[in-house]
Amino acid sequence: MPRIDKPLLAHLLRRAGFGATFRELDRYSELGYEATVDELLHPERQPAIEEDVLERYYIDWKESRNIEGALTESVYRMNAYAGGRPLQEKIALFWHQVFATGLAKVLHEKTMLNQIDLFREQGLGNFRDLLLGLAKDPAMIFWLDNNFNHKDAPNENWGRELLELFSMGVGMDGQENYTEEDVQSAARAFTGWTIDDDNVASIPFGKTPWLFRYLPEDHDEDDKTFMGETGNFNGEDIIDIVVRQPAAARFISRHLYNFFVADEPQVPAWQHTPPGDPEAIKILEEEYFRSNYDIRSMLKVLFNSDFFKSDRARFAKVKSPAEVVVGTLHLLGDFKFPKRGIYDVALGCRYMGQDLLNPPSVEGWHTGEEWIDSGSLVERVNFVADQVSDIQQPGVKAIVDTLLDGTLELDPISVIDGCLELLGHVRLHEKNKNHLAGEVRSMLEKRSGLVAGSPEDRQATENTVLHTMKMIGSSREYQFA
Amino acid sequence: MTTKIEQPLSQKRLYRYHDVIGLLSAAGPGFSGPVSVITGPVDELYVANRASPKQPEAVRITRCTKEGDFLEHFGEWGEEPGQFIWVTSIAFSPQGELYLADESSNQISVFNANNSFVRRFGEPGSGPSQFDRPSGMAFGPGGNLYVVDTLNHRIQILTTEGDFVSQWGSLGAGDGQLNMPWGIAIDNAGGVYIADWRNDRVQKFDADGKFMMSFGSSGDGEGQFNRPNGIAVDNDGDIYVCDWLNDRVQVFDQAGSFKDVLIGHSGMSKWGRTFLDANPDIEQKLELATQNIEMKQRFYRPVSVHIDAAGKVFVADCYRHRVQIYQKL
Repeated sequence: MPRIDKPLLAHLLRRAGFGATFRELDRYSELGYEATVDELLHPERQPAIEEDVLERYYIDWKESRNIEGALTESVYRMNAYAGGRPLQEKIALFWHQVFATGLAKVLHEKTMLNQIDLFREQGLGNFRDLLLGLAKDPAMIFWLDNNFNHKDAPNENWGRELLELFSMGVGMDGQENYTEEDVQSAARAFTGWTIDDDNVASIPFGKTPWLFRYLPEDHDEDDKTFMGETGNFNGEDIIDIVVRQPAAARFISRHLYNFFVADEPQVPAWQHTPPGDPEAIKILEEEYFRSNYDIRSMLKVLFNSDFFKSDRARFAKVKSPAEVVVGTLHLLGDFKFPKRGIYDVALGCRYMGQDLLNPPSVEGWHTGEEWIDSGSLVERVNFVADQVSDIQQPGVKAIVDTLLDGTLELDPISVIDGCLELLGHVRLHEKNKNHLAGEVRSMLEKRSGLVAGSPEDRQATENTVLHTMKMIGSSREYQFA
Repeated sequence: MTTKIEQPLSQKRLYRYHDVIGLLSAAGPGFSGPVSVITGPVDELYVANRASPKQPEAVRITRCTKEGDFLEHFGEWGEEPGQFIWVTSIAFSPQGELYLADESSNQISVFNANNSFVRRFGEPGSGPSQFDRPSGMAFGPGGNLYVVDTLNHRIQILTTEGDFVSQWGSLGAGDGQLNMPWGIAIDNAGGVYIADWRNDRVQKFDADGKFMMSFGSSGDGEGQFNRPNGIAVDNDGDIYVCDWLNDRVQVFDQAGSFKDVLIGHSGMSKWGRTFLDANPDIEQKLELATQNIEMKQRFYRPVSVHIDAAGKVFVADCYRHRVQIYQKL
């Protein structure tokens, strides 16, 4: 049996999910790396969460009457699925970042959450089908004004962003990917794609979800020329042409690489800034066409690639706020059953700079080092440090019990290495590790007056472990995935 | 929804849609996630609003007439005496005191006829007079309080002061066992009906908890349930069950045989009419949403059902923030 590389599995689960507990890593290591990748790529084979119980206790979520409720529901679901279907939630987060739509304008929480459900259900499927679903998604239609895109008065907002931000990008290799005429033609092709109701009032009896509606009488039936092809195109034809473009392959490959492998420059720079790893992008582009635009196939190649597994890729990405919050909750084993308090925890994402369901613009959030500023860093450190040292949390207790199983005779390095491993094979730079070892040594030495193995000895050792975990959670290194 | 609807009949024509009371509101005339509806000592409606933790001011009890005239609201969000957070049900004792179950604090609060807080009892746990998320409550013919202790999968009988009398139930799917029970109703003979939520069935016990019968199974056909919660029994012995995730209320005879189903036929409420008259632009947009009109009339997660002496059936239509009313024919 091949040697199981648990640090590699931990890397996979940080990227394809929100990290894994040490017990989950035990299970995945039994499974093996490639089988784990397969399991992650097929979330539908894993049990669904108990929706009835969720709705039983959080009765306001189904209708989601405020943005905080919608944000909290998203975080709760990510956490609830972090152990069983992590990639389902991660890919939904990915598309929410790419197809950034926001409640600041949409103002209809349930309709926004329906869009996220679209990403959950189709996010690992065919890119062409996903784009078509997006074009019919009521939140997106309202967000980019396609309900104001009429045969006699085209509105180019959706048509432009479809090309610029959702499928091809402005350009690549120094060239432009499309023309202004292409934008105008795309917009005309989507005339008549609208929603049933643009009412956002919750009074008198609460909101009902918006529904897609096609109005043939408002559709432009004249010929259009798009990307060098001419015909009486409808929206579906535009998407069919778009997904065939090399630019679409490049665009989606760079996005997947940026989200799952290593931070790339922000999207607006892609026309003139080549990929950090051109060979990796080429491999993904080839799989895009080979698989007929299948995202699951592309991710299978990505997760099994050398560029993903390489040491260079590990801890090379700054965690997003959602990754920090959900990853911590999952590690703790908290909120696996509905209880109060989830709202305040979930809002941590907002305080760290990622107001889920409400991105700052249609460009989404700027990622990588741009996640970090002095304010958000303090929020991150405090959030993690407060939680990972709370012995009441089942995940923390499991780590402490495992580390202290059988012996309290631990030296500083074994305490630190044990915590690093059980927290998910985290790495500390040597300098920081040595500094922490000094603190741990000092704490362990204070036990010298205690009877070895006594409850007081156990308590003092436990406190040392908890302090070590807190310091690791506060470290710079912990902010990287 | 905003056009006048003829008073339609239920599927088996045993009930006629009568009226609707409601409007989404965090205060005053209106409800916010109503989870329990009952009639008070002087034949007025009391509606418990669960609302949202991010809108604590909307957590309250609303008192109104059966004709939809607002009288007052009282109670507030919090953990202090007289406050509550996750209200699940309200019930009136024979002495006219209002009992309120809070599954956040695992306590039951008591209010007097002036709606002033009197006392509370209960604490977290699984021992006598302890609760793990209490939900439905009802008073038996002897005056004792029956409490559905949901996550302890049991029913507790307590005195009106909260002292333990007896209990029954354990987690399981066998006769007499329960899985996250929710609603409770007691008939005139002392028969106790439990909405056995996660077992998708109703079980009937005698007043001491001896199993008598059960009916229902998982599904959406006649007599089947998808997480039944609110339950009531009328003077004829007919049993009403909120079939929560099927968005309907089913009616059974006293033997547990299916009789009829209510699906919701809401028109516009008095409070809603007042609002729309002041906001004609919103009414115009509501009427444009043609694909949604039927959806807006139907029940959306009915949680609680109550029948008064005149045969009026009140259904707390939780996600539509209203109480739909039917008349038994």
